[in-house]
Amino acid sequence: MSRFLLVVPPLTGHIGPLVGVAAELTRRGHETLWCGCADRVRAVAGPAAAVHPAALPGTGAPVRPPGLTGPAAFRFLWEDFLVPLAEAMAPAVEDAVRAFRPDAVVTDQHAVAGALVCERLGVPYLTSASTSAELVGPLDGLPKVAAWLTGRLTSLREATGDPAAAYDPRFSPYGTLAFTGRELLGDAPLPSDRVHLVGPVVTDRPRDTGFPWDTLDPSRELVLVSLGTANTDAGARFLHEAAKALALLADRVQGVVADPGGHLTAPPAGVLVRPYVPQIQLLGRARAVIGHGGHNTVCESLWHGLPMVLAPIRDDQPIVARQVVEAGAGVRVRFGRVDAAGLAEALTTILDDAGGHRTAAAAIGRSLRAAGGRHAAADLLEQLVPPRPAASAGR
Amino acid sequence: MTTEATTTTPRDADGNTVLARIVTVLRELPDAGLEDAEIGRDTLFHDELELESIDLVTLSGTLREIYGDRVNLALFIADLELDEIIALTVGQLADHVTASLRATAAEG
Repeated sequence: MSRFLLVVPPLTGHIGPLVGVAAELTRRGHETLWCGCADRVRAVAGPAAAVHPAALPGTGAPVRPPGLTGPAAFRFLWEDFLVPLAEAMAPAVEDAVRAFRPDAVVTDQHAVAGALVCERLGVPYLTSASTSAELVGPLDGLPKVAAWLTGRLTSLREATGDPAAAYDPRFSPYGTLAFTGRELLGDAPLPSDRVHLVGPVVTDRPRDTGFPWDTLDPSRELVLVSLGTANTDAGARFLHEAAKALALLADRVQGVVADPGGHLTAPPAGVLVRPYVPQIQLLGRARAVIGHGGHNTVCESLWHGLPMVLAPIRDDQPIVARQVVEAGAGVRVRFGRVDAAGLAEALTTILDDAGGHRTAAAAIGRSLRAAGGRHAAADLLEQLVPPRPAASAGR
Repeated sequence: MTTEATTTTPRDADGNTVLARIVTVLRELPDAGLEDAEIGRDTLFHDELELESIDLVTLSGTLREIYGDRVNLALFIADLELDEIIALTVGQLADHVTASLRATAAEG
């Protein structure tokens, strides 16, 4: 048996894939410990998860102005969140490594402290990439922006890593677990041959949401609207238009809207609005999804063979949305401008099976299921553990 | 793409003509929803038009169709710092195109 440390940022979508990997490692008899924001880890991984708590920078969770998008959102993400996060987390990661003595570490691509502490202490580690966007050179063509980011990563490395190291700490020299599939990446070359496309880890998140299953109408096509977990403040206008679009198509579509922000106080009749939904179970019965292009919801939808209308907001979402559109499994609309009529038109397009979106989504889903997921990730982590001399095998 | 584009000559290097042309191209960007948007010199490419890097690629291709190889928007963007990209305006794009056209006209 071996010990594995999982270093994560306080972001639900980044923790999610590793929950399944940690469960698989535990099933194989290994010991796992998380390092990150204890509340956030336990909210995703369950209350029993073992966590070495890491402080968050400043006042806690990142508060990003909801209207911030594009390159301004990118600057905020690194300058005001990920860099301070790495500075705040580094002491906790080091404490966790010294106390837990992991045989190997897996650290999220955006929890840079994990990579830098491991390189300094000489612990083998894999990168966890919870989105496909960083794999396709998002800053290609923007050399000065790439240099800006490299400068910040270099400063972090001088403070917490091995200043002599020269590789990109977002891609471990030991390898990267990329929880995505080739079908989404298209022909894009991978940043290195140590990037392993293990597919998504789709884990049911059992939680009693009190969902009124008996109100679902089997004679209409079920459509789920979800903007994920990180965009609650930005979604009011869009969710209103989406609910109106669902009402426009009410003769053939039954809409379910996830509205954690409580924006839809008076939804159109027949549109089911819930603060939280049992997403995986709903996807199993749905015919299509309207979403923001978050990588996890995209993979879960494709996993169930569902075509998508995508309204990316920021960060990796425009890239992920483009990948889905180029793979033929979805239609993209503008988050900030699309109205109910435009959404209804896009939804009609993907629900029309003659358009091929469902066929493409089903094909991608089959290959994502075949990619190995948590089992492939656990295999790669086990392979990372250095062989022990026989004398110390009993420990 | 507008059909009159193919008849454009370097004499179109007048700044206002170029700006008007770029505004037209932006309004016609597929699925951008900018048909009725107010677009002027000071309009911010990202914050106000909510356009993305993929739109810059599309725009770059369209401008090349209109003006030929004299205008290389990708090179112009590649030379920008992050803060400059955040603050990028439609007028700056027009100025770059105008300057490129004048430079090649002077060479010719």
